[in-house]
Amino acid sequence: MRSKRIASAIALAALAATAALAGCSSDGDSGSGEAGGKTVNWWTWDERQAASYKKCLPGFEQANPGITVTISQYAVDDYFTKLTAGFVSGAAPDAFQNSVPLLGAYAGQKQIMALDDQIKKTDYDLSVFDIGVESWKYTDGKQYGIPLDWAGAAIYFNEDKAKDAGITPEQIRDMTWNPDDGGTFDDIVAKLTVDKNGKRGDQPGFDKTKVATYGIGSLASGDFNGQTSWNPFVSTLGWRLGDKPAWPTKFPYDDPNFVKTLEYVKGLGDRGLMPKFGQLTVAGSQQIGSGTVAMVQGGTWDATSMTKIPGVKVGVAPTVKGPQGRSMISNSNANNIYAGTKNLDSTWKWVTYMGSEACQSTAGADATFLPSIAKSLQVAVDAQKAQGLDLSGFVNALNNGELYPAPPTANGQEIVDTIQPLFEAYFSGERDKAVFPEMAAKTQEILAKQ
Amino acid sequence: MAVLESTARGQRPPRDAVGRRGKSRPHSPAHRGDAKLAWVLIAPALVGFLVFAAYPTVRGIYLSFTDFAVLSPPEWIGLDNYVQLLHDDVFWSALGVTVYFVLLSVSISLVVSITTAAVLHRLTSSTVIRGLIILPFLISAVVAGTVWSWMLDTQLGIVNIVIKALGGDGIQFLTSRSWAIPSIALISVWKQMGYTSIIIFAGLQTIPPTIYEAGRVDGASELTMFRRLTLPLLRPILALVVVLNVIGAFQVFDIVQVTTKGGPANASNVLQMYIYSKAFGQFDFGYAAAMSLSLFVILIAITFLQMRLLRASESDTNA
Repeated sequence: MRSKRIASAIALAALAATAALAGCSSDGDSGSGEAGGKTVNWWTWDERQAASYKKCLPGFEQANPGITVTISQYAVDDYFTKLTAGFVSGAAPDAFQNSVPLLGAYAGQKQIMALDDQIKKTDYDLSVFDIGVESWKYTDGKQYGIPLDWAGAAIYFNEDKAKDAGITPEQIRDMTWNPDDGGTFDDIVAKLTVDKNGKRGDQPGFDKTKVATYGIGSLASGDFNGQTSWNPFVSTLGWRLGDKPAWPTKFPYDDPNFVKTLEYVKGLGDRGLMPKFGQLTVAGSQQIGSGTVAMVQGGTWDATSMTKIPGVKVGVAPTVKGPQGRSMISNSNANNIYAGTKNLDSTWKWVTYMGSEACQSTAGADATFLPSIAKSLQVAVDAQKAQGLDLSGFVNALNNGELYPAPPTANGQEIVDTIQPLFEAYFSGERDKAVFPEMAAKTQEILAKQ
Repeated sequence: MAVLESTARGQRPPRDAVGRRGKSRPHSPAHRGDAKLAWVLIAPALVGFLVFAAYPTVRGIYLSFTDFAVLSPPEWIGLDNYVQLLHDDVFWSALGVTVYFVLLSVSISLVVSITTAAVLHRLTSSTVIRGLIILPFLISAVVAGTVWSWMLDTQLGIVNIVIKALGGDGIQFLTSRSWAIPSIALISVWKQMGYTSIIIFAGLQTIPPTIYEAGRVDGASELTMFRRLTLPLLRPILALVVVLNVIGAFQVFDIVQVTTKGGPANASNVLQMYIYSKAFGQFDFGYAAAMSLSLFVILIAITFLQMRLLRASESDTNA
């Protein structure tokens, strides 16, 4: 009798513990909102953008009384794993920021919603965007994303070091480049490079093994699209990532212009004008801040952090002008809506509000991202100008057609994982240019997979 | 003799007592009415085992024969994943990298741990020192990996600062092909060494001091005694340590994830890292399951071989 009582007590305790555990595991705050509810959950991986978009909340909630939005930010290393777990458990956010390479995986597996019906139903005008719309069309021709921003590359330079080398900011803003002699870009990089004895890269007796300041930060990147490294160079020769603007069947890494460009970039390291692969481990802003490099090519998203380094005056310049003018790849993040949202109407309102000129101008003024809407971008540029930062080059890039959108691709992550080690092997000297045809063939194989 | 007899008689229970117990106590606990309580008490462990070990293992085996991208239902594809695995250069390179890591980390770990344990055994009985030695084992691998990656950093790491101050050139510990795996192995040895040393130390304490006394009487040096007495007597413990270390080393992931992420150019892309990127990066869970199962089979084979080779269940004391 007594043992029965003990047994029942333990069973009850176990039940209670199970219930408590189950309670812990349901993530009510950050997952998809309740059925018919008025709370919209939105995720981003960028904490600075999360702060900027929070500025849109009062305007949105005033225009849509009763709907509340919860913005959550998760570090990019965990973001997509957490999102996948959300899809599997049905607790993904109603809407979230996404990157082009993952469109194929999410749309292909029906985890995100085609938005055409909503667009039609609410007469939402996609022409408000100046860039990014095309990148978010899946192979079925439907629109899966509402653009948020665009991102390209820019050159940041230490103004004092440029002055010491006798180079004006205008010369840096007008740098020309070609893969044969490197144009004025090559001359400027050589002049900015100084060895430990004070000899510059273009002077006789320059010791390339003992460099105190490199002319340019490393352009040797394992990144498959080379967005902030080799891409703004090779694109000026007419090369494009992908044989087609969307859903390409091959990345032409075996193109002679590509090979020539990459050989030029690697040569900068061999000549001692640029750090070698793996030599510097800190971020570009720290390299320029510490004086290890005089100039870096970074992302447009680095503008505010690069130019606020204490004690170092950093100027912003557009990318190089090549044989076919300036050109670079642009990656546009967008808002996707979770196919399992129980809250479509409210979510759509929030997503379209984020894609409005009002919100893009309010949030974009911080320049933590570059709005896909040209008018909002101008607002951002003006706001930054008032704080002493000249981002007008970014407006020119958008208005002058210097950007081409990153193509949406199948199996994006597999391409990243396959191509990165091969680039690293090339830049570290393990492989020579014979690696490029192999890379092109591998992309062809991966892109053809279902 | 009389004393012995009486002791023996005293230990033997009276015959009638045995008879009474035989009648009053049933033979199995089930007959005592405790079965329900027993099941309730076992239930948490049993449920945990079934839910977190048995079911995932069986499902993992099933998934290895499917095309499973996690967000849509698995599709049976027979042996396709295993055929793909045979032709996957990255898999074989990852296996090679893993074996290189296992050989390095286990051999260095054994040498360092045996030496540490022997020194501890012969020189000190301080529990403080023993506590200090096991300290790195108590630190999370992610924390250890992060701190070491700072210390080994090419530009700012203290190790390179010291090397440069001594007149050497900086070493790209975690960013060059030749150094990546040795550096990770050393971090892993640093972390594991305390635990392994303490196990070996415990083994050393089971060796009777009289054996060493006999050795000394026969004129053996410390080194000879270590080689001829300590090591053979420690063999069962060493076998356990080797088996545990090999299994642990084959599963290395956390240190690699925080220090090199498998780079540069796949130089430290160990098998677990590759499995992780296939599953959670590329959503190829079916193929990742096939690789995991292959690793499982490899581990069973290696462990079996080690147990046979090291005659782990036997001790030389019986020989």
